[in-house]
Amino acid sequence: MQTYAIVGKNVPRNDAEAKARGAALYTDDLKLPGMLVGRILRSPVAHARIKHIDVSKALALPGVKCVITGEDTPKVKYGNWRLFPDTQDEYPLAVDKVRFIGDEVAAVAALDADAAAEALDLIEVEYEELPGLFDTGAATQEGAPVIHEYCPNNISVNRKIQYGDIDKGFSESDYIREDTFHVHAVSHAYLEPCSSLAQVDLDGRITLWTSTQTPYIVQCLLASTLGMRENDVRVIKPFVGGGFGGKMELRPFEFCAAFLAKKTGRPVKFTLNREEEFLTGRRRHAMTLHSKVGFKKDGTLMAKDLKIRLDGGAYNAMGPTATFLCGNFGAMLYRYPNYRFLGEHVYTNKPPASAMRGFGAPQSLYATEVQMNMAAEELGIDPVEIRLKNAQVTGDKIPDVATISSCAFKESIQKVAEMSDWKNKRKNLKPGQGIGIGCYSFISGGVFNWFNTQFPFSAAEIRAYADGTVHYLTMASDIGQGSDTVLKQILAEELGLRMEDIRITSADTAMTPQADLGSWGSRVTLMAGNAILDAAKKLKAQLFGAVSARFNLNVIYELECKDGRVQAKGRPEKGVSFGEAVAMVQKANRGEQVVVRGAYTPRDKGLVTPAFSFGAQVAEVEVDQETGVASVKQMWTAHDCGTVINPKSVEGQLNGSIQMGLGYALSEQFVMKDGQTLTTNFLDYKMPSALDMPPSKVVHIDSYEPEGPMGAKEAGEGLVSPTAPAIAHAVHDATGYWCKDLPITPEKILDGMKQNKK
Amino acid sequence: MRLPKFDYVAPKTLDEALKALTAGGEGCRLLAGGTDLMVKMGHGLTAASLLVAIKGIEGLHGIRFDPSKGLSIGAATLIAEVAEHPDVLKYYPAVAQAARKTANTQIRNMATLAGNLCNAAPSADNAPVLLARGAEVEVVSQKGTRQLSLDDFFNGPGQTELARDEILTQILVPPAAKASGASYQWISPRGKVDISAVCVGVNLRLDGDVLKDVRIALGAVAPTPMRATEAEALMEGAKWSEALAEQVSAKASEESRPITDVRASAEYRRRMVSVLTRRALEEAHARAVENWGV
Amino acid sequence: MKHQIRLNVNGDDYELLVDPWRTLNEVLREDLNLTGTKLGCGVGDCGACTVLVDGKSVSSCITLAVAVDGKKIETVEGLAASGEKLHPIQESFIEKGAIQCGFCTAGMEMSALYLLRKNPSPTEEEIREGLSGHLCRCTGYNQIVEAIADAADRMKTDRGKGVKP
Repeated sequence: MQTYAIVGKNVPRNDAEAKARGAALYTDDLKLPGMLVGRILRSPVAHARIKHIDVSKALALPGVKCVITGEDTPKVKYGNWRLFPDTQDEYPLAVDKVRFIGDEVAAVAALDADAAAEALDLIEVEYEELPGLFDTGAATQEGAPVIHEYCPNNISVNRKIQYGDIDKGFSESDYIREDTFHVHAVSHAYLEPCSSLAQVDLDGRITLWTSTQTPYIVQCLLASTLGMRENDVRVIKPFVGGGFGGKMELRPFEFCAAFLAKKTGRPVKFTLNREEEFLTGRRRHAMTLHSKVGFKKDGTLMAKDLKIRLDGGAYNAMGPTATFLCGNFGAMLYRYPNYRFLGEHVYTNKPPASAMRGFGAPQSLYATEVQMNMAAEELGIDPVEIRLKNAQVTGDKIPDVATISSCAFKESIQKVAEMSDWKNKRKNLKPGQGIGIGCYSFISGGVFNWFNTQFPFSAAEIRAYADGTVHYLTMASDIGQGSDTVLKQILAEELGLRMEDIRITSADTAMTPQADLGSWGSRVTLMAGNAILDAAKKLKAQLFGAVSARFNLNVIYELECKDGRVQAKGRPEKGVSFGEAVAMVQKANRGEQVVVRGAYTPRDKGLVTPAFSFGAQVAEVEVDQETGVASVKQMWTAHDCGTVINPKSVEGQLNGSIQMGLGYALSEQFVMKDGQTLTTNFLDYKMPSALDMPPSKVVHIDSYEPEGPMGAKEAGEGLVSPTAPAIAHAVHDATGYWCKDLPITPEKILDGMKQNKK
Repeated sequence: MRLPKFDYVAPKTLDEALKALTAGGEGCRLLAGGTDLMVKMGHGLTAASLLVAIKGIEGLHGIRFDPSKGLSIGAATLIAEVAEHPDVLKYYPAVAQAARKTANTQIRNMATLAGNLCNAAPSADNAPVLLARGAEVEVVSQKGTRQLSLDDFFNGPGQTELARDEILTQILVPPAAKASGASYQWISPRGKVDISAVCVGVNLRLDGDVLKDVRIALGAVAPTPMRATEAEALMEGAKWSEALAEQVSAKASEESRPITDVRASAEYRRRMVSVLTRRALEEAHARAVENWGV
Repeated sequence: MKHQIRLNVNGDDYELLVDPWRTLNEVLREDLNLTGTKLGCGVGDCGACTVLVDGKSVSSCITLAVAVDGKKIETVEGLAASGEKLHPIQESFIEKGAIQCGFCTAGMEMSALYLLRKNPSPTEEEIREGLSGHLCRCTGYNQIVEAIADAADRMKTDRGKGVKP
């Protein structure tokens, strides 16, 4: 194994001190002279035609500077799937129709928050209500009302994956089971409510500071919805208080801030409140998964037939990607010789679902893993053994979809069984106690160019200085996951510099090189990391050339950047400091600044991702058999994320995943009635607290991803998937109840126990 | 959430507060910790044109304990102070437990026990134990002072016996009888800190081997915190047995009138009343046995 | 009618004219430009807005500014008293990986300060209880719990050196 100076070390985050001091500025912390406060009026009805809007009273209110409705705007539809314009189904402000409770109808800009709030009450909207569709069954019934005119059956996307001979696979199976699972919608619940601040420059261009994961996507879609050129819009990402997939699209308040700034000539800031976030914010797709699997008696998998319906809510958002990824993840973890997938994305009159940590994997793998545990029980095979028997390994292919370039899945399963003392624990549990296993695989960024970017997927610029420092510019977006730190670690390692030698500017679309698709799908470490390495290679070529000339080195000598020096390998005296080497290159170029560019775009990597990560998790649970309350006592995780760049960061991501997975499994849900979200605060939307978090032990399996920077791949996002099935398995072990309908509430456990007794 | 506009006064004495309250008329509301009121006003659920803050009134602060008269808790006393007070911890462990379990640290540092009662949420954490312990409240207006049993205090969600010009000034809890015990039990679908989906307070006394003064109070299972009087009657004068505790708990469950809401279904709440009542009876009984010799 | 109030924030005296319906959170962030204190939910559930008022941790989002007239307020900006040197709680948060997106951090640190002043040697359970009024979506809390235990040790050492925590 290669040893590194900085990669693999617990380097503190470069933004930690600013955050610890309260000095890190998030969008809502920003203030500009003359700034106005914006607010959005939202639809109180789930499905209606807008007959008439009267803003005159709101406009007459002292302090109100501007009120806009859809009619005032250029009426350009947007959506992240730019490659297929048909899928772009959303207007920044409603035109003619509203499609969910919370849909944006009008916006105001006022001198202060009080006036803005009062103005909303004065806008009069006349609706002609239409029947609402609140589940995928109702939405797909013959003759159901149409939510979008272009889509008469309300099924906006369908994706298929098929390989092998599914009928033959089942006919050769000894044991076949079919189950239907329902998984529910949950909230990203990032702590920072969304916020945007827009300013019009002196020459009419827009600058937008916004809480986003994807500055580039916001730049392009904001430009198109405003009818401006992309380069006339600058998007800057200040510090962001978490995203988890919920901040990766253009959002109406971003458009409204920019549009109102243009109309009023003054900066305008919108900040959502938590109620708006819960009421209207994006969410993880609720799905119905119908899964049929066939095994040989000895546990060998023969076939899988997976049909999924996604409850997409009122707009496509990232639903098309989630639909496809469900099918991809349905084929992951195990070798299915015959596989068929059909995924349908259905419109309903509910807040749109979109990308959320795991991006289709938590739903798809819940079905996979619970079913695997059910099958193991019925076949009388240990759940660990049946997994080892079928586990994917390096080099496995999903025909026409993906090739797995590195995979330490089996090692992860073995390790987690050892760490948790699986065999003994299973035998020696008391009544009410249970232990369960769940596994995951995840992607390291996507390869499919649905956004239709004309730029590389990620780019890097390095400016090198004679004082021994470099300035690294990237559009990659640190939203709290720590990517700025990890990317600096990779660069420092490659150039033999210290962390403090690197200045970083990130996520400013006018200043950093075009482009980077943003922080989602666990793409940043691999893609932005590869872009830096590409740039660093070009810089090193120049530095090596200068040092080689200076010391008249034999052409066969290898050179290196190490410990702040550029030198012949093994002959450190034949070298100079990094700064001196930069000065030499600069001199040779007659003073021109030393600047290099690098880029990365995955090519010839199938349809999904350049690299997959894997892992296994065990949960120990105790169930109060009278109240049905399940508490998780301990979690063990072993995972393969390739080279670990920053162990503390990876562990932090892992614990965060467990918190989210715990909530998904046991307590978090949107309670809804007729399209109305009833759980609009953190008292009712039950996110686990510090008291609910179990202790967690983790082992990173030593592996190396050939496509990843220094062997790294995804870490942290995929780990949100195994927690719910592991807990469901442990609850079954403790009570006999199999949960096929998340979340696993105390009530369901009690009912399940009662039925088992019958 | 954004607060609507209102006026604010912070009197220094009870007299000034009563005057302001009377003068303020219909739109006037008392403000103690504000942890419920601010949220309700922010959501437009409660309207107020004038808030009269009572935390600045010195005479409403403090916890006093007298072994013969019992406990008095001033209306401006924080829930955190109740949870940590040595006399409450020693002589009223179930009261302290309910206080400690209320919401979270910051809320307990702002909210008052009196406010928790006056807000009259069906799920008020502190109500069941205080009901079980036979608490009374002292209520003052410009016309005079009256004392009423907490049993008669709650009228409905957010509704109490307090007249518009009255201020609840203190909560009075009688001293524990010899060989008595109380218990507080709760459950909510997440963790240990939450709004209770169901909570139960129980108090009982052992007279020889006979159970006396049995009081069972339930939270979050009816429009107000409620007594399960039929269940109490089943146990009153009977001898302790596990079977009896089961039977009494089942009766309490029958008496409860829960609804289904975002926190739990009516059916689950009813089942939990039974489980928690039994657990509370067991703990209260064990404490009573322990206190036998005291 | 606006009210004249006096606040002592992190040792600095301010005299302000405020509408009675404005919260302490708004006054800190908007009038005093102390934006280190965040607003996460606005209804006292998430803890991101936690500050100390006369030494007690409270949710500044549901505290009226007029109701804390004359009181001593401590916010995250006051933690590093001298400016440059960090408070032990801040050092521990940084070192133990307790900070990811950072939006909950200021509130968490203030609750840690409240806890450790009351209880200089808390157990793990007491630390978790002390964080019961806080939500975090990034860290899963465990590294925050570790950081507070570590800060308790550092503060004891500092106290030995006569440094005021």
